[in-house]
Amino acid sequence: MTETVHNLLLGFSVALSPPVLLYAFVGCVVGTIVGVLPGVGPLAGISLLLPATFGLDATKAIVMLAGIYYGAMYGGSTTSILMRIPGEAASVMTCIDGYAMARKGRAGAALAIAAVGSYVAGTVSVVALMFLAPPLASFALRFGPPEYFALLILGLLVLAYMSSGSMVKALAMATLGLLLGMIGIDQMTGYFRFAYGVVELGDGIGVVPVAVGLFGLSEILATAGQETPPAVIKPTLRELLPSRQEWKDANWPIWRGTVLGFLIGIIPGSAHIISSFVSYAVERRLARRPEEFGQGAVAGVAGPESANNSATSGAFVPMLALGVPSGPIPAVMLAAMMVHGVSPGPLLIKQQPELFWGFIASMYVGNVVLLILNLPLVGVFVNLLRVPYPLLYPGILVFCILGVYAVNSSVVDVWIMLVMGLVGYLLRKLEFEPAPIVLGVILAPMIEMALRQSLAMSDGQYAIFLTRPIATTLLAVGVLLVLLSLKSLVTHGFDWRERIAMAEKGEEL
Amino acid sequence: MRRARVLVGVAALAVVAGIAGAQESYPTRPITLVAPFPPGGVADLTARPVAASLEKILKTPVGVVNKTGAAGAVGMQYVATSRPDGYTLLLALSSISIIPEADKIFGRPPAFTVEQFAPIALVSADPTVLVVRAESPWKTAREFIEDAQKRPGQISYSSSGVYGTLHMAMALLEHAANVKLRHVPYAGAGPALTAILGGHVDALASGPAVVLPHLKAGKLRALAGWGEARMASLPDVPTFKELGYPDAEFYIWAGVFAGKGTPEPILTRLRDAMRQVVADPDFKGAMDKLETPIVFKQGEEFQRFFDADARRLAAGVRRVGRIETK
Amino acid sequence: MLTTNRAAAVALGVLAVVVLFESRKLPLGSLHNPGPAYMPVLLALALLVFAILVGAYGGASRALGAVGWSEWRHAAAILGTCAFAAIALERLGYRLTMAIALGFLIGVIERQGVFVTLTLAVALAAGSYLLFDTLLRVPLPRGPFGL
Repeated sequence: MTETVHNLLLGFSVALSPPVLLYAFVGCVVGTIVGVLPGVGPLAGISLLLPATFGLDATKAIVMLAGIYYGAMYGGSTTSILMRIPGEAASVMTCIDGYAMARKGRAGAALAIAAVGSYVAGTVSVVALMFLAPPLASFALRFGPPEYFALLILGLLVLAYMSSGSMVKALAMATLGLLLGMIGIDQMTGYFRFAYGVVELGDGIGVVPVAVGLFGLSEILATAGQETPPAVIKPTLRELLPSRQEWKDANWPIWRGTVLGFLIGIIPGSAHIISSFVSYAVERRLARRPEEFGQGAVAGVAGPESANNSATSGAFVPMLALGVPSGPIPAVMLAAMMVHGVSPGPLLIKQQPELFWGFIASMYVGNVVLLILNLPLVGVFVNLLRVPYPLLYPGILVFCILGVYAVNSSVVDVWIMLVMGLVGYLLRKLEFEPAPIVLGVILAPMIEMALRQSLAMSDGQYAIFLTRPIATTLLAVGVLLVLLSLKSLVTHGFDWRERIAMAEKGEEL
Repeated sequence: MRRARVLVGVAALAVVAGIAGAQESYPTRPITLVAPFPPGGVADLTARPVAASLEKILKTPVGVVNKTGAAGAVGMQYVATSRPDGYTLLLALSSISIIPEADKIFGRPPAFTVEQFAPIALVSADPTVLVVRAESPWKTAREFIEDAQKRPGQISYSSSGVYGTLHMAMALLEHAANVKLRHVPYAGAGPALTAILGGHVDALASGPAVVLPHLKAGKLRALAGWGEARMASLPDVPTFKELGYPDAEFYIWAGVFAGKGTPEPILTRLRDAMRQVVADPDFKGAMDKLETPIVFKQGEEFQRFFDADARRLAAGVRRVGRIETK
Repeated sequence: MLTTNRAAAVALGVLAVVVLFESRKLPLGSLHNPGPAYMPVLLALALLVFAILVGAYGGASRALGAVGWSEWRHAAAILGTCAFAAIALERLGYRLTMAIALGFLIGVIERQGVFVTLTLAVALAAGSYLLFDTLLRVPLPRGPFGL
């Protein structure tokens, strides 16, 4: 313990030294900008700015890149709440209740809760990272394809809780999303599926154009032509801050989101966006008034935003403790380390204590910086809403196109956004929920790959799922959850139509 | 008469100067170096020092653009179909030879063909190395191969994807040593490494730089390399050639290409520039940090290397054929 | 009577059938070794089932005509502008494309004054370019005249 404190002091001495502090600040600012801009998320931000760090030494470079990562997570909620455009893919869930809160005039409250939730989650998860990195990392490595498959099937259950309307419609949307995720090269055999000769579709339709199109563009399409333009909201200063009730409502979701996000973030290969989806579903399940969700429930903002941020720290666990890239973003950070001559690996913590502890300390500092940056900005951003809509939306449109294009320098992505925008518009008219589609697009390739890899590992034996303890436990939990929800149906006597839908879902799994 | 001759002389001089001037004037605009892989990967990390040094030498901005997708096919197709004016270059990995063959197997029109490129220079050529976990029973490559021969299809290995570089390396070994292994594809080199570290697969063919820290930490053991000679960073690791399997030769190489049809003078200028790039101390320093030795080949030498490699890989891909789904 | 649910059900059903049709070219594989067509076929069948369920039991839905489509022309114009942007982005360069798109949206569709249109169009196009290309070093396409 004392050694940890000693190391932490060493880390702070590094992190608070003016040059390092400056780079952390720059990283946070850039990250916030990147996060606010639609579509461009932390991965794009870090990748694009990686070359700019080549001239710096390793610690400064890593600190700046981490700042961008964090900042993007903070900033992503801003456009989600204010304009229902996901600042980055993981902020999709915030679009739902955050925007609803904004429409009710509680935009400032939503932004503030998102910022504070992100701060709590960020700080707590860094503490966890500090103490638990090595043992957690070894645990995380034991997640192989069978464990993934079980976990992702559990994730599918989440879909059931995401709909505020008819269950069947939500499931139909989820299936549609899963199908869309099938586009691209089949990683197991090399076949191009549903790509029709467009090489850019080889990696599938990205989640960014889908999210921005389904939520952001469709919102513009539906609202821009209205005869009565949306009322310009002019909040007073007192209305900018959350009420006491809202703080109370946000409390538990923030803590739950933190723990959930961290655990999901540790697992190599899990995407951030899954943590916010799961948090949303959990909050909905545990809420006393679940029908609030979709209409501006505070928990629907607090939970996912916290989960988001703590998943960030979770993702660093395997990277720092073992030198294992747990996802595309840690992979880029590992590359940044390699370029600076720091070889990541299990010995990193021992060999480069200044780097590791300086990094941890700068994460604390970064969180504080971002909180200070974001809270006053709430007022600034909310004022953006005062611009009359006919002048506002063309600007938003430009940023959407720009953001989606910038991720891959690909015009095909812009086309995908266009198509999904049209689809989102139609879905709104026909009263379907777009959120399950986004989750489906992400989960489909992962579930399929995990299943087929597991079968490849076991030479076709399905028994592999039962011979590995973690996988079996997860599957058992899944079965239990399904049984529990079916039981509650029976005892509460749901509408017989809904029961059919639930039974269908049970069979599908 | 004399005036006419002077005029003709001046005109001739002007024409010659004009042509020479046109040659001298490349490059007049910023150049784009396309890296067909995502940032942080081998291609990207090699492309950036190359671009930085080229910029110094050609005195014009050289920007790296990541055009990713389809295991590199998107970026490669982009350069193949761009105007061959010398302003769009490609930093390709060995997959440039694999992708068109894979397309042929599936009967689809190839995204691009190798003939659409004009090679400029080879920059690095890392042989892959066979690694297993430290706890596994095989201490030498020979033990591994013998075990694989006794238990066909039981030993598993991960790769970065079907027909990817890490898969093809193993495929060449399987053919050379007459063994059958169990292939578990992953979505990229990172996940493939994670898989073996987590004990989910038994073996991996990997580029040396990424596994070096794990070898040093004692988590992985290197059995043999696919190179012609032993690797400088791993001098105790024998090559498959030494062990009697000369057909198991595979490099993850990186080279700079331009579109075919780029005018000769521009190509010459680029080749000269590349010669200077590999002599640049900044470039050397960057590659050192990446633990990637510089292997420089140009002209005839590069062409021969490239052709031989392409032939090997094409044969390997055809042997792998379409993945069986019974 | 065509309700929203039935319209959606038909659309989803058609999509499911199209997917099934397209998957014929891919090998199906077996339960122990699923091929590339396995998941798509499974999902398409599930979608078909859900489409039927939505059509029959989807809950309350309104007549298709009752849904407010009043803004469709506006939406079509916006989509058209986006399509233009997608086509022109790499040909005309970022700034020119965006300036034209913005000018069209603000000036023609929203019918704001000439001064407002020009200022906003140029400012947003140039400003966003500055932010991304120059400051953040995100390469944006340049068109003729280096724009």
